[in-house]
Amino acid sequence: MKFDTIIIGGGLSGLVAGIDLSRKGQKCLIVSSGQSALHFFSGSFELCSLADNPYEGIATLGAEHPYSKIGAESIADLSAKVKPLFKEVGITLKGVKDANHWRITPMGVLKRAWLTMDEYGTVPADGVMPWKKVAVLNIDGFLDFHTSYIAAGLEAKGVECSVHAISMPELERLRMNPTEMRSTNIAKTLTGDLIGALAARINEYAHDVDAVLMPAVVGLTSSTDVVKLKEKVDRPLHFIATLPPSVPGIRIQMMLKKHFQKLGGVYMLGDSVVSGEFEGGKLKSIKTNNHGDTEFKADNFILASGSFFSKGLASDIDGVYEPIFGLDVDSLDVRSEWYERNLFDAQPYMSFGVATDNEFHVKKNGERIENVYATGSVLSGFHPMKQGCGAGVSILSALYVSSLLKTIR
Amino acid sequence: MFKEYDVIIIGGGITGAGTARDCAMRGLKTLLIERHDLTAGATGRNHGLLHSGARYAVTDQESAEECIRENMTLRKIARHCVEETDGLFITLPEDDLKFQDTFIQSCLKAGIRAEAIDPAEAIRLEPSVNKALTGAVRVPDGAVDPFRLTVANVFDAQLHGAEVLTYHEVVSILKEGYRVVGVEVIDNQSKEKKTLRSRLVINAGGIWGHAIAEMAGATVNMFPAKGALLIFGHRVNNMVINRCRKPADADILVPGDTICLIGTTSSRLPYDQIDDMKVTPDEVDLLLREGAKLAPELADTRILRAYAGVRPLVAADNDPSGRSISRGIVCLDHETRDGIPGFITITGGKLMTYRLMAEWATDLACKKLGVDKKCQTAEICLPGSEETKTEKKSSSQHVWLGEKAAQGRHGSRSTNIVVNDENDASLVCECEGVSVAEVNYAIETLGAKNIINLRRRTRLGMGTCQGELCACRASGLLSKANGCAKKSAEDLASFMNERWKGMFPVAWGETLAEAQFTAWIYEGVCGLDAFDKKEEA
Repeated sequence: MKFDTIIIGGGLSGLVAGIDLSRKGQKCLIVSSGQSALHFFSGSFELCSLADNPYEGIATLGAEHPYSKIGAESIADLSAKVKPLFKEVGITLKGVKDANHWRITPMGVLKRAWLTMDEYGTVPADGVMPWKKVAVLNIDGFLDFHTSYIAAGLEAKGVECSVHAISMPELERLRMNPTEMRSTNIAKTLTGDLIGALAARINEYAHDVDAVLMPAVVGLTSSTDVVKLKEKVDRPLHFIATLPPSVPGIRIQMMLKKHFQKLGGVYMLGDSVVSGEFEGGKLKSIKTNNHGDTEFKADNFILASGSFFSKGLASDIDGVYEPIFGLDVDSLDVRSEWYERNLFDAQPYMSFGVATDNEFHVKKNGERIENVYATGSVLSGFHPMKQGCGAGVSILSALYVSSLLKTIR
Repeated sequence: MFKEYDVIIIGGGITGAGTARDCAMRGLKTLLIERHDLTAGATGRNHGLLHSGARYAVTDQESAEECIRENMTLRKIARHCVEETDGLFITLPEDDLKFQDTFIQSCLKAGIRAEAIDPAEAIRLEPSVNKALTGAVRVPDGAVDPFRLTVANVFDAQLHGAEVLTYHEVVSILKEGYRVVGVEVIDNQSKEKKTLRSRLVINAGGIWGHAIAEMAGATVNMFPAKGALLIFGHRVNNMVINRCRKPADADILVPGDTICLIGTTSSRLPYDQIDDMKVTPDEVDLLLREGAKLAPELADTRILRAYAGVRPLVAADNDPSGRSISRGIVCLDHETRDGIPGFITITGGKLMTYRLMAEWATDLACKKLGVDKKCQTAEICLPGSEETKTEKKSSSQHVWLGEKAAQGRHGSRSTNIVVNDENDASLVCECEGVSVAEVNYAIETLGAKNIINLRRRTRLGMGTCQGELCACRASGLLSKANGCAKKSAEDLASFMNERWKGMFPVAWGETLAEAQFTAWIYEGVCGLDAFDKKEEA
């Protein structure tokens, strides 16, 4: 089977690359093992959280950072495309290009964010709280969301909070099994006709408040339920992120995937690449776990396989490696140098990744592979947490590599 | 006026807990003081091995005899803390098979059941064992949960009227003339100081007892010996596996609930490092290499965490250099030894002999106080291990998933865990089957104030995922119970940081992937770093 581009990894970066290339008329294949960082999504994309203005933060980053490889001019161009791209997919993002706003975390603290899904509660760039009084709701018995933390965080910022737990007979049934009360199961229950009943329960607490805040547990497969619920609730309703899995994150993944398929892309879920055939400094073809001897050929390949958690990077007692092709990685040789003793210090292993040139070509045994590019969190040279740039690197490196590849017809 | 106790016991490890129980059962007005949480020192950094004594049989008959006696006692009085797995002492091709005879003879002499079995039979009994073994001896080793055992002792002490102060640190020993008459403590949480008076003070501080004795003006020459261990992600073996040779490093593999542990190394440690032990890459390599000889599949089993405990080894009084070290029980009467009346030190020994240590210390205390009561701790069962003639009906209204696991952890006391509805039954920790009700029981009845307390009282977060999501769930329940969200959030941050300290020495493979996942959730999504209180002393 022959494609223009084969993308390894079906998370945020792989899907954005796949959609952008498909729009250019390329025939694309995505091979996805099913793991994606979108499953533990915060509700927001970060571009760079080092400063109020993300571009000012980006200007301070070193040469090894993927943004520095893309270059300031391209960053400005590509970042302007993000909101429209998601709009086309059916996801409305809020936020402005050159000023970070604040998202409210499950621990009730504020963190910088660049673009946030419309349904989440946010605080504007100036940090002035948009509400005087809110109702903070939880689903009774849902342990992956703690209203006490949200309320304490908001109260510390001068917002008066009333905290309530809501219940419905349909959720009682979920509760019969002690491990079922998790976000995705709640979202599967709270859908369709039940949205009206849920809104009625919420409205019991929606008097005399400026807004209602609740865990993001509605809208697993589309935003229809979310839109309907917001319409029926008497006051502005905003979501706050839960512990994983993230219901809106799974929805983004599904919608990106559907859009990619609509544009003609082929998405192989639950499959993984087992080997590649190299010839003359190029990758000719790959084989996958589910397709035995079938060779998948392409002019170009994009490795968007993620970091350690998504198995795009692997490690053993002796070192860090790229598990599919054995590509060169940037890491440290001495294991004790991979870590800092305090969990919350900048952990060096977070910046490990596949070594690339300025156009994100990967290397094997020191030799550049002409037609293989890496994008997203498999890249080296950035710290998603400390620099607040994980989603930004995933999206912009994908758009950048896509811009380097040719348009068909 | 100050309240006066008969006895104040310093140290909430297993020795202090056992001593508090014994003293309280003999009618003494008892106070137990611990500077952190129960089991925070060497007790909680233990191998969890219910020694049969076989390990010591060849080198130290006296220890071996003590061990097997206490082993049999614990099976009776603490059956909910003990797993009767039996153990194997295997001979590998690199070991001398002739040692087996000496070993069996020494075991039998100490009263330890020891039978040589065919290697094929050993493989049938314990399929994870190294198939290259040339010989095997079966002995009555087992597993013991040191957390559960300590909590049960303290709980029983309280049922007999003892008072317990955790998070209270002794800052000085009160003296009138030469006589010790109490202690001054600081509440490590409120920073408030208190004076507590007693007729006797018993120092059960383990290695930290060295400094406590110094405060009282006595010198007890202790030598910290560090022992490092690794915890593996699942229960590879069902029987304890040992090497049939003279005791060496990393030659015991112990199953414990859902996991297994390999240990230990043994190295001298400077006294100033006992509060900040690090497991080195060399120790990890040694434990892995030797562990895989006992059960080869350990080489490919995920390591959850590495930790180290510190044994209090005591030098003989006439040997300040520490060359002649005893691993036996040391009970010091400072009145006769140093001219300091009112002060007793109980140290040395092992987890296995804690009850006997407590008995010696309490006998001495009773003698000093003129109390003529016999020790009954070897006969009367700990709470949770009482024989139930008729199956006691649980007060719970529901059949619930965590029930069996809770019975294992709390024994007959699990009937006090009340599950009234599905919310109570819902699982906080899926790896270990800890329900909302069990967490609430630990908070209300067992004095759990933070996640580490909960971990030690319920095994929450001790399973394969090492508290990935249950820590946050438990934190929410604690925040609800104690009404202070900020404190609970700081507690969660410090718990995750402690967990990391056990993980990073072994963070490669899946453990590194898990660590990265944790960072994404807790720092990325949750912003928990805002609650990190940088390294406290």
